Amino acid sequence: MIVKFIARRLLASVIVVLGVTAVTLTLMDRTRGAYVPGIDLNPALRPEDIARLRADLGLDQPFYQWYVTWLWNVLHGDFGRSMIDGSPVLTHILERLPNTLELTLTAVVLGILISIPLGVIGALRRGSKTDHALTVFSVAGFAVPQFWLGLMLILVFSVTFEHYGWPWLPSGGVTSPFGGGDIGDRLLHLIMPATVLSFFYLSLWSRFTRSSMLEVLSQDYIRTARAKGMSERRVVYLHGLRNALIPLVTLIGLELPGLVSGGLIVEVVFSWPGLGRLAFERALQYDYTTVMGVVFFVTLLVVAGNLLADVLYAVLDPRIRYS
Amino acid sequence: MIRDEEAEDKGFEQFERFLEDWSRRDFLRRMGGAAAWTAFSGGVLEFLDACAGGNTTTSVTAKKGGHIVEGAFSDVRTFNSMLSSDTASNQVIGLMFDGLLNSKKNGDLVGALAQDLPKTSTDGLTYTFKLRPNLKWSDGQPLTADDVIFTYQLAYDPKYADVASPRRGDLSKYIASVTAPDPQTVVVTTTQVFAPFLATHGQYGILPKHVLGSLSAKEINTADFNKAPTVANGAFKFVSWQSGQQVTLVRNDNYWAGPALLDQYIYKVLPDSTTVANQLKTGEIDIGPVDPAQYDSVKASGNVAITEFPVAIFDFYAYNLDPTKLGGKLFAQKEVRQALVYALDRQSWVNAIYFGHASVATSVEPPTSWAFKAKPQVVYNFDKAKANSLLDAAGWAKGSDGIRANKDGLKLQFEMHTNAGNKQRESLLTVMQQSWKDIGVDATPKLIQFPQLVTEIVSTRAFDMFLVGFSWTQDPDEAPLFHSRNAAPGGFNGADFKNADVDAALDGALVTLDKNKRKQLYYQFQDIMSDQVPAPILMFNVGLWGTSKRVMAADFGTYNQFQQRPWMKDVWVSDGK
Amino acid sequence: MIDPGGITQLDLPGAAIEGEARRPAQSYWNESWERLRANRIGVFCGALILILALIAIAAPVFSQFVTHFDPARQHLSDNFRSPGHPYLLGTDELGRDTLTRLIYGGRVTLGVAFLTVALSLTLGTTVGLVAGYYGGWPDDILMRVVDVFLAIPAIFLFILMSILFRPNAITLAAIIASVGWGGVARLVRGEVLSVKQRDFILATRSIGARDLRLIFRHLLPNVLPVLIVAASLGVGQIILIEAALDFLGLGIQPPTASWGNMLTNAESYFFHSGWLVVFPGVTIFVTVLASNLFGNAVRDAFDPRLKAH
Repeated sequence: MIVKFIARRLLASVIVVLGVTAVTLTLMDRTRGAYVPGIDLNPALRPEDIARLRADLGLDQPFYQWYVTWLWNVLHGDFGRSMIDGSPVLTHILERLPNTLELTLTAVVLGILISIPLGVIGALRRGSKTDHALTVFSVAGFAVPQFWLGLMLILVFSVTFEHYGWPWLPSGGVTSPFGGGDIGDRLLHLIMPATVLSFFYLSLWSRFTRSSMLEVLSQDYIRTARAKGMSERRVVYLHGLRNALIPLVTLIGLELPGLVSGGLIVEVVFSWPGLGRLAFERALQYDYTTVMGVVFFVTLLVVAGNLLADVLYAVLDPRIRYS
Repeated sequence: MIRDEEAEDKGFEQFERFLEDWSRRDFLRRMGGAAAWTAFSGGVLEFLDACAGGNTTTSVTAKKGGHIVEGAFSDVRTFNSMLSSDTASNQVIGLMFDGLLNSKKNGDLVGALAQDLPKTSTDGLTYTFKLRPNLKWSDGQPLTADDVIFTYQLAYDPKYADVASPRRGDLSKYIASVTAPDPQTVVVTTTQVFAPFLATHGQYGILPKHVLGSLSAKEINTADFNKAPTVANGAFKFVSWQSGQQVTLVRNDNYWAGPALLDQYIYKVLPDSTTVANQLKTGEIDIGPVDPAQYDSVKASGNVAITEFPVAIFDFYAYNLDPTKLGGKLFAQKEVRQALVYALDRQSWVNAIYFGHASVATSVEPPTSWAFKAKPQVVYNFDKAKANSLLDAAGWAKGSDGIRANKDGLKLQFEMHTNAGNKQRESLLTVMQQSWKDIGVDATPKLIQFPQLVTEIVSTRAFDMFLVGFSWTQDPDEAPLFHSRNAAPGGFNGADFKNADVDAALDGALVTLDKNKRKQLYYQFQDIMSDQVPAPILMFNVGLWGTSKRVMAADFGTYNQFQQRPWMKDVWVSDGK
Repeated sequence: MIDPGGITQLDLPGAAIEGEARRPAQSYWNESWERLRANRIGVFCGALILILALIAIAAPVFSQFVTHFDPARQHLSDNFRSPGHPYLLGTDELGRDTLTRLIYGGRVTLGVAFLTVALSLTLGTTVGLVAGYYGGWPDDILMRVVDVFLAIPAIFLFILMSILFRPNAITLAAIIASVGWGGVARLVRGEVLSVKQRDFILATRSIGARDLRLIFRHLLPNVLPVLIVAASLGVGQIILIEAALDFLGLGIQPPTASWGNMLTNAESYFFHSGWLVVFPGVTIFVTVLASNLFGNAVRDAFDPRLKAH
C-alpha cells in the first residue's frame, strides 16, 4: 500500500519538475533574441563573430530542440556552462548553496529560539499588556518590507556605530575579505542578515505557538494533570508545551523547502553570495543556462523535500495512505 | 565603448596641451596621499576643487607590507587578457599582466614591458618595440618577444581562429604581422596607417607562451588558466577567486618595475553604489568608486578622501534617423533636433542630478581629449523661446492637446529608452520629459534592462530615442558611433547617422599620424556634429574615487581609473596592515 | 460547517406578547457580520484601507485642490525640502512634491494589490471549485498544474517574468497573481472537499439540481469566508511583494510613482533627506498592518473555530 502511495507521489513529483522546467524555459525562450549574453559592447566584434558565438551557445536552435538537449544534459548532471563566464553552472550552484543554507538555517533556528518563548509568554499571560505588546510586535513584524529593515539595520549598526567608534557589525559578505574566515568573523557577518530573514518567521511562529499553546492548555488532560496536583510548571512545560510544539513542527517543516530561495532580498541587501542572488544577477544579464540551472536545482530540492515530507507523514500516519 | 557603469581605457600618444596642467599635478602627487585634482577649464567647465582634507602631506616614508581591499560593482569573468571584454576583468588583469605599453593618467603612453614607445617607420606601418632586459614571469621564466607574438596571435592569426577573442575584429583587420627578429625586439606591421593603433592595441596584457602555447585554440577558450592564472608578469599575481565575492592577489616579486609595496590586493564584488559608499565609510573597503549621489555622505564621514577629475565619458541621447522608423519621420529635420536640445536647461541638472559632479557638454569630443573644441560651430544654451520658434518654423504646430503635430497630423510623440538601474540616467529622462512637455513635445521614458538596450541599439534598432553613457579612449576617434559604415546592424551607429562630410573627416583623421592634421579634421568633425546633432551630448562626467585615509600614493586620473594603473605598485598603507 | 442559506427561526417567548418585536432572523452571515463589527480594531483597519483606496481613486482631486502639485512636475531648485510650506511632506531629489506622489503612488500600489487579489481569487476559486467538485482526472490534472506553479520559487518566477514583460501596473498584477492563484485553488478545493460529503449536498443532488447551480448557490457561499480572509491578508502581502520587486528594479519603473519604488529610491538619497524614506515607509507599514489586522478580524468573525481563544 505504501509503495503504491510513494510511487504515485513520485510520479506526481516528476511531472511537477518537468512542468517547472517547461514553464521556465518557455519564459526564457522569449528572450533568446539577438542579444548574445556576456559580450559587452565592443566595437571590435564583427557580425560574423557574434553569429559564431550565438551558434556556439546554441541560441540558434528551435525551442524544442534546445529544451530536449538541455533536459537530457541536466539528467546526466551536466547543467551546462554559464553564458557569461563559461564556468560550469553546477560549480556556481554548489559554491553558493552552502552560503544560502547557512543564512536560512540560521534564520530558522533564530526564529524558533525567539518565537517559542514569545508564544509561550503570550499564552501564559493572555490578555495582559505583555500579551498585547507581543501580539503587536509579531503582527508588525509581518508588515515591514524586508529590504527596508535590512538597509536600516546596516545604517544603524554598521555605518553609525562605526562612525561613533562603538563596536559595529560588518555590512555585508560572508566573511571579512582580509584576515577573516574564523567562526567569530562568520557569526558577526551572519547576525544582521539572519535577523532580518527570521523576522518573517518570528511573527508567524510566535502567534502560532501562542494559539497552539492556548488550545492545548484548554484540553481536558491538562485539567486532569492540574487536578492531580502536578506543579504548574510541569503542567505547562511537560504536557502543554510539548504537545503544542507538534503542530509548530509541521509549520516549520512547511517552510523548509522555501529555504533555498527565500533569502533572495536579504542576500542582495547584504551582498551575501547565495543562490538567490546568483539567479537574480544572472537573470539581469540574460545568462540563460545559469538561471535555468538554479531554478531547476531549487525546484528539485523543493519537490524532493515535499515528497520526503509526504512519505514521512504517510509512514507515521496510516490514515493518510488511504486517502 | 558604451559603458554601463565604468570606463574602459586604452592608450594613445602624447598630446602637448595637457603638459602644463599635468606638471602642476606632478607637484601635488609628490605630496603623497590621495591628492585631489582640479579639472582644467576650457572656458566652459567649472573648476572642481576637491581637496583631500586632513590627508598627510608631510614627507612620510612609504611602509612596505599590508593589504588593501577595493570595492567594485561587477564580478570578474576571466583572467585572460585576450578573451576579456568587461571592465571588471580588465581591471584585475591589468594588475597581473602588463602590456607593451601603459598609460599615464593624462593619457600619455609610456613603456611598460617595452622599454619605451616604439620606433615608428616613416610610412607609419611598422612599429618596432624593444623589450626591457631581463623580464621575468612570476615563476622565474624569462619573458621574451615570443610571449608577445603568441598573445597577439590569439586574436589575429588564422590558426587561432577558434579563440573567442573580442579583439579579433580589429586585430585581424589591422595587423599584417607580428615578428621577433631577436628575443628582445617585437616588430608589428599594420595593414594600413591606423593612428589609434598604439593606444587601442598596444596595452593588452601579455600572456605566457610557456603555459598556454601547447593548447589548441578551443582549449584556450576553456583553459583553467583563464580562471586561475598560474603566472603573472605584473605587479601582482593570482592567489584565489571566490566567484561572486572576491579576487585575492599577492605581490609579484619579479615585477620589472620592482616589487610592489603592498603584500596583498583584494578585489571585492558589491551589489550597488550605496553598499560601496557604506563600506567605504566603515572601512570595510579601502578604495571604491563613488556615485555622485553618495559623494556628500561619504565626504561627511571624515575618513575617506575623494579624488575628482574629468574623464572621457559622457552621457548622450540619440535620435533614430532611419527613415523607415518613427524616429526617422519625427527627427529628420535638423531644426527639430536642434530645438529639442535648446529646450534643455542642462546647467540646472549639474546640481540636481549630479550633485555638482559633472559639466554641461559643449561638443561631441570629451573635454579630456587633445582634439576637444570648446566652442564648436553651434553652442546650445538653454533657450526655450528659440526651441519653440524653431519647431514652429519647421512646421510642427501645437495642437489643442498641447502636443505639436506636423501638417500630416503626425504628433511629436515618442519613447525614450535607457537602462534601468542607473539613477542619473533615470533622472535625466524624467527632466527631459518635462522640459519637452513645456514646448509641446510628448516624450515617455522607458527603462529596460541593459542587455535589451544593447540589442536595440546595435541590432534591432527598435527605439525612437535612447540615452546612454559612452566612454572613450585616449584617441579622439569616434567612428564607432558616427561613421556611416557602423550604421549596419552590428555597429554602434544606432542613430543611423550618415553624413559624407563626417565620414571623410573621420576617415582622414585615422590614416595620418600627423597630430596637427588630425586636430584640424576633428575640429571640422565637431563643427558638423554640433550643427547636425544626430546624437546630442548632454553632460561630461567626472571620475570620483574614494580612498580610505590609510591608503597612500593612490594616483587616480583621467586615464588611470580601471585598467591602466601603473602607480599601483607604489601604493602603501599607513598602518602597514 | 454552515447551513447554506438556511434560516433558523428563533421563536422567542416574548414574540407572541410583543407582536412585532421579534428578534430578526440570525443567519450565519449576520452573526459573523455582527462579530466583525464588534471588533473595533478590525473595523478601524478596514475603514482605513477603504479611506486610502478612496483617496487614491480621487488622486486628481487631491492634487488639484489640496496639494496643488502635479506628481510628475519637477522643481529642480527645490529638491530635498523638508516638510513644510508649500510642500506638505517635502520634496524628492528632483523637487517633486512627496505628498502628491504618495497619493498617486497609492493608486498604483493599491491598484496592483486589489487587481492581483481579484485575479488570483477568480482564477484560484474557479480551478478549486472545479477540481474539488468534479474530482477524478480533472482534479488530478488541475492540481498538478497548481503544484507546478507552487513549486517554482515565487521570487524566481517574478524575476523571470518581470524581465520579459516590462511591467506596468496591470502586467505586474498578472505576474504576481500567476503565483498566488495556486494557493487559493488549493484552499478552495480543500473547502469544497470537506463540504461535498455533507448531507445537504447529496440531498440537493438527489433532487436533480444542476451542477452549476449547486456550485454557485451552495458551494461558493461556503467558500466565501476563506476567500475574504485570503483577500484581506493578500492585499498586505502584495504591497510588500511589489515593494520588494521595486527594490530589485523589476517592479513599477520610474518615473511612475509607487510606494515601493518611492521607498527604494529614497534609500539612495538617505543622506540628503531622511524624510524621503520615512513617508513611503510609514505608509506601506501602516497599510500592510491594517490589512493584516483586518484579515485577522475577518477570520475571527467568520470562523470562531479558527479563533485563537
